[in-house]
Amino acid sequence: MSDPTPALQPIRSAYRLQMLDDQQLRDFRAGTLEILEDIGVRCPSDRALSLYAAHGARVDVERQIVRLPPDLVLSAMARAPRTYTMGARSTAHDLLLDGNALYAATDGCGIETVDFATRGRRASTRQDVADMARVADALPSVAFYWPIVSAQDHPATAPLHELAASYGGTVKHVQTETVMGERMARYAVEMAKVIAGDEATLRTRPPLSSLICCIAPLAQDREGMEAALVFAEAGVPVGFMSMANAGSTGPATVPGTIVAGDAEIVAALVLIQLAYPGAPVFHSLMTGVMDPRTGAHLATTWEGEAAYAAGVELAHAWGVPTLAGIFGTDATVPGWEAAAASAVALTICALCGAETGSGMGLLDACTVLFPEQLVLDADIYQRVRNNLARLDTSRAALALDVIRDVGPGGSFLFQAHTRDEMRRRTFSDLTNRREPEGGLRDPIEVAREKVARILAEHHPEPLEDAKQAELERILAAAEREMGAAATPQAIPSSTGAHR
Amino acid sequence: MSVERPPLEPLRPAFRLRFLSDEQLDQLQGATLDILERVGVKFPSEVALRILEEHGAQVDRATQVVKMSPDLVMRALSTVPRYFTMAARDPAYDLQLEDGVTYFTTDGCGVETIDFDSREPRPSRKSDVGEMARITDYLSSVAYYWPMVSAQDHGRTAPLHEMDASWNNTVKHVQSETIMGGPDARFAVEMATVLAGSREELRRRPNFSLVVCTIAPLVQDHAGIEGSLVLAEAGVPVGFLAMPTLGTTAPATLAGALAMGDAEIISATVLLQLAYPGCPVFHSLMQAWADPRTGTYVSYALDSRMRYAPVEMAHHWGMPSMGACYGTDALLPGTWQSGVEPALDPFWAGLTSPEIVTGMGLLRTYTLLYPESVILDDDIYHRARYALMNMDVNAETLALDVIANVGPGGHFLAEQHTRRFMRDAMKRAVTHQLDASGGYRDPLQVARDKVAWIRENHHPEPLDAAVQAELARILAAADRELA
Repeated sequence: MSDPTPALQPIRSAYRLQMLDDQQLRDFRAGTLEILEDIGVRCPSDRALSLYAAHGARVDVERQIVRLPPDLVLSAMARAPRTYTMGARSTAHDLLLDGNALYAATDGCGIETVDFATRGRRASTRQDVADMARVADALPSVAFYWPIVSAQDHPATAPLHELAASYGGTVKHVQTETVMGERMARYAVEMAKVIAGDEATLRTRPPLSSLICCIAPLAQDREGMEAALVFAEAGVPVGFMSMANAGSTGPATVPGTIVAGDAEIVAALVLIQLAYPGAPVFHSLMTGVMDPRTGAHLATTWEGEAAYAAGVELAHAWGVPTLAGIFGTDATVPGWEAAAASAVALTICALCGAETGSGMGLLDACTVLFPEQLVLDADIYQRVRNNLARLDTSRAALALDVIRDVGPGGSFLFQAHTRDEMRRRTFSDLTNRREPEGGLRDPIEVAREKVARILAEHHPEPLEDAKQAELERILAAAEREMGAAATPQAIPSSTGAHR
Repeated sequence: MSVERPPLEPLRPAFRLRFLSDEQLDQLQGATLDILERVGVKFPSEVALRILEEHGAQVDRATQVVKMSPDLVMRALSTVPRYFTMAARDPAYDLQLEDGVTYFTTDGCGVETIDFDSREPRPSRKSDVGEMARITDYLSSVAYYWPMVSAQDHGRTAPLHEMDASWNNTVKHVQSETIMGGPDARFAVEMATVLAGSREELRRRPNFSLVVCTIAPLVQDHAGIEGSLVLAEAGVPVGFLAMPTLGTTAPATLAGALAMGDAEIISATVLLQLAYPGCPVFHSLMQAWADPRTGTYVSYALDSRMRYAPVEMAHHWGMPSMGACYGTDALLPGTWQSGVEPALDPFWAGLTSPEIVTGMGLLRTYTLLYPESVILDDDIYHRARYALMNMDVNAETLALDVIANVGPGGHFLAEQHTRRFMRDAMKRAVTHQLDASGGYRDPLQVARDKVAWIRENHHPEPLDAAVQAELARILAAADRELA
């Protein structure tokens, strides 16, 4: 028995805000062009270097530094599409990135899971990816899924197992941020093709997209760039993310870190457009601020959060969609900090017109999965979504007749209008829940129960048997090809890990 | 000895959003005028009825319901000042209300305190009002003070004792929300006059103000209205606060609740302007919901859109607005719910730009004081303050030369630019305070420690001994006469 996946509830903001004025945007773009022309970006991939060189970039082969003339950058970026679709297993859950809606994803690539049953901390597994895909599938707030943790029980081919587990658990779009290297990317594309059904659908409604991290300052990852080229060739949307950290891998000023990060991203986007003009790409600036005492990358400092909105506006200034930094708290456990620090960044990014955003459900700098955190973050998401909607001031909503009937000192409780309209007001299903003896329940506990209920009851439309078998066949082939070289990884420890 | 008080840091947002269109604002204003003309508002006060009648309102003596023509309303509203001063004991903390600046205050009138030392819950008392005045006197986010809890150890004259405790412990402006009735208001004016030096000086630089709650639906409070008339005569700013609850005391639609609450506020404002044209009045509306599952009062529904619509409505009338931030229904500080509910408040408020905003620091729907809550709410305030700032984009902050020096794959740690700017790049919120081992401390514990530190170290300049004695004398007289 399967259970329908609820319709998505993207944020369709009735309001728009421009955080950076036109001159500030021009200053940032000019800075990026200057960095790309004068300083350049390190790209340790022969394939990428020769592509850059073939299209007129200045390449220092020995130092693997690419310098890009402004004309080349601008003409390449002009080919990138501003609008495209990220497909899903179910067409009803396709995401049209056209600037009218913000679609949110989970966070991804966590390494520890607080066990669903024992509540103890342990290394994350493929099963966690599958279980959380099902939880994400049941939440209308989650529009697409990042495999939320690493399938560490499949060390050699974890990223591919994460994809298989994701497609098994949700009908929604899946975005990988762990598939690296040409070989693995080819397997991932093959899997996406199985899900899409054919090559043409893979291009028009790609059920997979990929996010590649740059290496601040101003360097690209060889495996990442080579995977990106494979994805772009197949029509799978590919995005680049900078996580430059003010004070360590970026200048100690937020604008300096933004411009350096933007340059990393744009250099990679240019490569993709040179190699595959018109390939769907996106821009993702998720800078942090270094704690000067510990060196940690902090995502939610007071001063650093404006960078997320700046990232959205820079993406649009370059003419591409964005993946915005939302949620992604520095808190280590569910509670006040994760709640107090999340809503503002999401709101600003939505006001600035972000198309997508990721970061729901992990804690401790995106490393630890508390399953209930996804439900808690979804509650915050709904508060923001409603806040951004317009007020109904129609005659019916003004209710003047009802006010007249009730009059000074009366009660609205027994009015038909009240009975009808109260049903339409929406309340959190986590707060103000009563204990049987009358006290208020802890919303975190209510969220845990909601996860358990979803896992027990929600079974989305399964993948067809033939497709499932095909995915397993691809996984087995990948395992044969790549597994031999790999030895099981040590499980990372629980503290001090930052992506 | 006392540590130096940090300067105020009001919200000065670089961005502004208009949430309601002109058409929507006109629709809401039209609805208010319609309600005032055709439904009316009950004024259970002979003085108020007489003033309104004299100025042409249609008064039904039997029901005490007053109906006002749109013309009368607009005429009365034309004399409301758009801005005024809320003065302080220390003139450096005078608040000159103006466009683009938002001043925050604490919440007020709580009834239970978690004791500062024993940490046990107990009924609130006068000393708590003083302690919290002293603690918030130190906070740059708190521009003026609402007596946070009720001085329940002083029975009938608690509101006057709350003023006394506040003035004795903060140099900032004090706003009461408990002074009710003509006699109490006259004692309050007398106390304020002692502090100001003269009636003229009090009118010029009012060192306190008052919030009066209306009673939904469409009723004024007898004592509230009569107290407000006394203060308005003295030139002390008065605000009217409507608290419609969707589903019980207000229509179950947001626009209906807003229009009805607005009608309550505007009718009281009309009264004051007719009686004392040009007296300072502000507008405040906080909607809540009756949870249809339980009947419980809910301050934050999942759909709490337009929490700041009343700010734009006030401005549309040409009045200053007091926005409503905070006020969580959570029972404990530092919890997920106490974070999630107010998380967006100061940011949204900043975007609409009310002149003043309440109310930091209480839990359990404005009733319970955990002293550390105000520190956590202060943190949410500053997060919004930074989010609303203009980004400083210039050659120095873009740091292109530094980026060139470091180059691809390098490191910024050793750069002089980094040493110079790193301190500014990261201000430590309560969430990023280090412990001895380099980990981050529990924000709740940080907040508790900060309260303890302020109590230990911050002692605002005391009131002049003669003023203190005079206030005590007035209080003694009030205790005798009113009790």
